[in-house]
Amino acid sequence: MSHTVLVCDDAIFMRTMISDILAQAGFEIVGEAETGSQAVEKYRQLKPDLVTMDIVMPDMGGIDAVREIVKQDPDAKILMCSAMGQQALVVEAIQAGAKDFVVKPFQPSRVLEAVQRVLG
Amino acid sequence: MDLSQYAELFLAESREHLSACNQLLLDWERTPANPAPVGGLFRAVHTVKGMAATMGYGRVTDIAHRTENLLDLLRRGSRPATDELLQLLFRARDALETAVELSVVGREDELDVAEVVADLESAAALLAGPARSTPASRAAAAVEPPAAPGAGRLVEVTLRAEAPIKGGRALLALKRAQGLGVVHGVTPPQAAFESDDFDGRFSFRLDSPAAAADIERAVREAGDVEHVSVGGEERRGAAPRAPAPAGAPVEATPEKSRHIRVDLRRLDELMDLIGELVTVRGRLNELAAARRDPAVDDVAIQISRLSADLQAGIIQARMTPVWQVFDRFPRLVRDLARELDKQVAFRVEGKEIELDRAILDELGDPLLHLLRNAVDHGIETPAERRRRGKPPEGEIVLTAVRERASVAISVSDDGRGIDRARILERAQREGLVDPHAEALSDDQLLRVLARPGFSTADAVTSVSGRGVGIDVAVTRIRALGGSIDIRTEAGKGTSFVLRLPVTLAIVRALIAGVGRERYALPLTYVAETVEFGVQPTTLVEGREAIVLHDRVVPLVHLRRMLGVSGDAPRRCPIIVLEMGERRSGIVVDGMLGQQEIVVKGFDPPQGTLPVFSGATIMGDGIPALILDAGGLV
Repeated sequence: MSHTVLVCDDAIFMRTMISDILAQAGFEIVGEAETGSQAVEKYRQLKPDLVTMDIVMPDMGGIDAVREIVKQDPDAKILMCSAMGQQALVVEAIQAGAKDFVVKPFQPSRVLEAVQRVLG
Repeated sequence: MDLSQYAELFLAESREHLSACNQLLLDWERTPANPAPVGGLFRAVHTVKGMAATMGYGRVTDIAHRTENLLDLLRRGSRPATDELLQLLFRARDALETAVELSVVGREDELDVAEVVADLESAAALLAGPARSTPASRAAAAVEPPAAPGAGRLVEVTLRAEAPIKGGRALLALKRAQGLGVVHGVTPPQAAFESDDFDGRFSFRLDSPAAAADIERAVREAGDVEHVSVGGEERRGAAPRAPAPAGAPVEATPEKSRHIRVDLRRLDELMDLIGELVTVRGRLNELAAARRDPAVDDVAIQISRLSADLQAGIIQARMTPVWQVFDRFPRLVRDLARELDKQVAFRVEGKEIELDRAILDELGDPLLHLLRNAVDHGIETPAERRRRGKPPEGEIVLTAVRERASVAISVSDDGRGIDRARILERAQREGLVDPHAEALSDDQLLRVLARPGFSTADAVTSVSGRGVGIDVAVTRIRALGGSIDIRTEAGKGTSFVLRLPVTLAIVRALIAGVGRERYALPLTYVAETVEFGVQPTTLVEGREAIVLHDRVVPLVHLRRMLGVSGDAPRRCPIIVLEMGERRSGIVVDGMLGQQEIVVKGFDPPQGTLPVFSGATIMGDGIPALILDAGGLV
């Protein structure tokens, strides 16, 4: 059975691209979230194998969402999607429990490597 | 990977974000002390940056990055916006917009961004102050275990030079190591990982029974590791931590996203197909009626119902809220008001009202003309307003309201109103109205203003000058099957009301016969039908009219107007059209029923009466002309 993924990003563009990259690699995209609070809610409902999480989102940011999700499920496998220059935020996200990160602009190979590392 | 497939998505979404930026900047400008909009601005610009970087659009990324930096500084400082900063942010937003549009069509190179980029840089430098502090402290609650100096093996790691965000990668390496034992003595200290200056070289001590090769493998698993050296053991300490067992995966309920974006051309194609289906359906209905076979009737009815549902579905899919066009106006009105030293409060109402995308796309320019006129010629200067006892700030309201099968969009200002006397004088001089007329009604005023050439005449525009572009607006709205009305009162203001059909492509129409021809009259503006020869007729201002519900309805004899020879039947129907306040009764030979017609645009030959808006194919394959309500009322 293929791994299930929840894609969290406030930009449809990014969600589409991440979903395309992962779907082409055989992952099953089971849900999308546009805000941190949606991400937390959908994680609870869907219990995906993997979450990709944007850092900057309206309502609740990605780092707070990581904290909430890890509180619910300490084994949650969350991959942060960051932009260049977000050094401090990435560090904070990892301390909050994110398992790895990729940096925009995404290269499919880098994304898939990171996903493999996260899923072990 | 092929990025071109994402270009359209990039464009659509960037436009949305940049439009939101405009709104947020305007909000901020209104109450500069309230920094609430900065968060939204930051997120919008950040999103555009991420998308642009992915698409490889360097200039967009560059401007967005610097704008984001500036916003970030403003956000952290919770600073009020100065006018200078706001103007810079407006400029940056505009530069982003241009860059986005050019990048998508591959003309990014034409853009010179040096100036705005330099200004953003220096503004950010000014805000950051001389000792620019990195925001390192925020995440300083490190997971670092208490240090036991000197214990464990020395692990030295070098990350790949090209690795992005090395601090994050280093932290992941530390976490991997922690899976094997106790980590301490991290050098440089973990807080340095948050700095942009971190060069990717770090070391730590790992107290673990694991073999050097296992430690190296674990660290490498963090990714982007160039080199690891695991030194000799100094002192064995605590037992290794068992890695946490992986949680059992739980069954997921698949959930798909509920929105997709569809290329408008696809919807147009679908619409065309449905149009043909509707035509064929008409033909089927006629054949079925001729056959009188209940089985065929049944099928015809089913086909009718299904195609009606299908058509309604497609039309619904084409519906777009007016804000998609309206959202750029607040900024335009603001810019224009600033330029002209006017004070204008601009309000938009009914943003969520929906129109067919094809109609909405055509509305931008006419509305822009009307708004520009309202600011330029309608609203007085603050000084003049004060003299007239008005508040110095003028008001312009753009409103959309749904009315039956049409949508009314109005542009109203509380400015000086149109100087009827001047317009009348000029219209009389040009022989456009009765030389003895003493006043112009609103309708006459619009007819005069809408004459091409008249409106742009300098003598008019410099005095009361309403004219610029009104002929353009009227022509455009008419072409869409809509109408314009004007109401103006000296000293109080002016309002234009545009009425538009909700959808263009397929409309329900009355089919009327005149002579041997059939004509279609869209039901959008049909108020009722009455019978000619039953109602008494009177003459009003030299025109034949009937009185209906206490109102005068002038009559138009279609037979006469179209030059059809012979007499109309003594008793025949009058179709009463209503457009806003204006009414008119169209006298035809007979009514042949109602049906859905597919509107085809057409180029009328020279000399054609300006009363046709298009053509349609009837069920029997014979074309019929569509009467333009706007031209008849």
